[in-house]
Amino acid sequence: MKFIFDLDGTITSQETLPLIANHFNVQEEISSLTAETIKGNIPFIESFIRRVHILGKLPVDEVADLLEKVKLHSLIFEFIQSNRENCVIATGNLDCWIQKLVDRIGCKCYNSEALVENNKVVAINKILRKEDIVKKYQEMGEKVIYIGDGNNDMEAMRISDVAIAVGIIHHPAISILPFTNYLIFNEKALCRQLNQLL
Amino acid sequence: MSSIKSVVISCAGIGSRLGLGQTKALIKLHGKSLIQWQLELLKDVEDIRIVIGYQANEVVNEVLKIRDDVVFVYNHDYFNTKTGASFYLGSKDANEYVIEWDGDLLIHPEDIKKILNTEGEFMGYSTITSDEAVFVKLNNLNEVISFSRENGDFEWTGPGCILKSKLNYTRGNVFEQIEPHLPIKGLMLRAYDIDTYDDYKRVEEVIKHWVL
Repeated sequence: MKFIFDLDGTITSQETLPLIANHFNVQEEISSLTAETIKGNIPFIESFIRRVHILGKLPVDEVADLLEKVKLHSLIFEFIQSNRENCVIATGNLDCWIQKLVDRIGCKCYNSEALVENNKVVAINKILRKEDIVKKYQEMGEKVIYIGDGNNDMEAMRISDVAIAVGIIHHPAISILPFTNYLIFNEKALCRQLNQLL
Repeated sequence: MSSIKSVVISCAGIGSRLGLGQTKALIKLHGKSLIQWQLELLKDVEDIRIVIGYQANEVVNEVLKIRDDVVFVYNHDYFNTKTGASFYLGSKDANEYVIEWDGDLLIHPEDIKKILNTEGEFMGYSTITSDEAVFVKLNNLNEVISFSRENGDFEWTGPGCILKSKLNYTRGNVFEQIEPHLPIKGLMLRAYDIDTYDDYKRVEEVIKHWVL
């Protein structure tokens, strides 16, 4: 059994890209892109490339330090800590930005990958397709439970064995609801459901 | 007890027999939605699972006004299925014992305690009140031994509690799903379900003095 978690807004209680944008004072450029992406109005990959183009000029080490301290949903964090072997993160976020955060969370993570030169992102090498991770574990014979909230979780949720849409910090994208088994708005209720699935 | 058993409220249907043009969870009784009445009656239950289908977004929004710690379970095939499918979907990943609770059922507040304090499996029944009843037959040990569309001494209303491991997917009704597992202890309740407009008017009269 594998629990595959989206990172932003699911494990973290703050969205990471807006956090970076606020910290470096480029929020105006980012906020409308993020909002439209969550709603599903801009395709995720296009939005991601555009956001990385804006944020990639920022010093990578500072971004990584900032994200290491991002607030987490404490009960979900505890669940992952107690079930590390069964938990996996699937995020479109870049390896160079989230590595310290992932070390803090302490489970395996699949992410997008960037080429870094002189402490800046100069190119995107790989954009993670979350559904590939679901397929990978299903092919290994695992029952996959996917937990996410955004439009970019849709295909992963469609093919997973159990799809949980979460709305803890904002309502989940309407586009994922047709593929959702459980819709949950409360962290305690989510952890209760995760434990029932164990 | 309430933390051990899950309660599965089935609110996925289109409420066609009632004819008020909306899913039953949203109909108003004395200014309060039916789902609000149910959630207030079940306020001591930790694991509430609400099965949604028709008008899912409206039901979700109504529930979130009252409490946000429920698990909403989708029955995407609500048009082609009955309460048995919703009960199965709501129970599949729940606690070991599941209590099925029809979305159109109201139970007298004093009898809620009786339900939540009853150990193990049970089947709730009442005197015959509704227009389109399914009947139960009891043996002399007060166990429910069969259901019937034709005749019986009491009305099957639910709620019913059963081990979730006994449930299988069905497109049919809950009572058909439970039938192979009878006999099960009976529990006499003041229970009222709302299938037709006449039921609706009658229940509104019955509950007007309830104190929650």
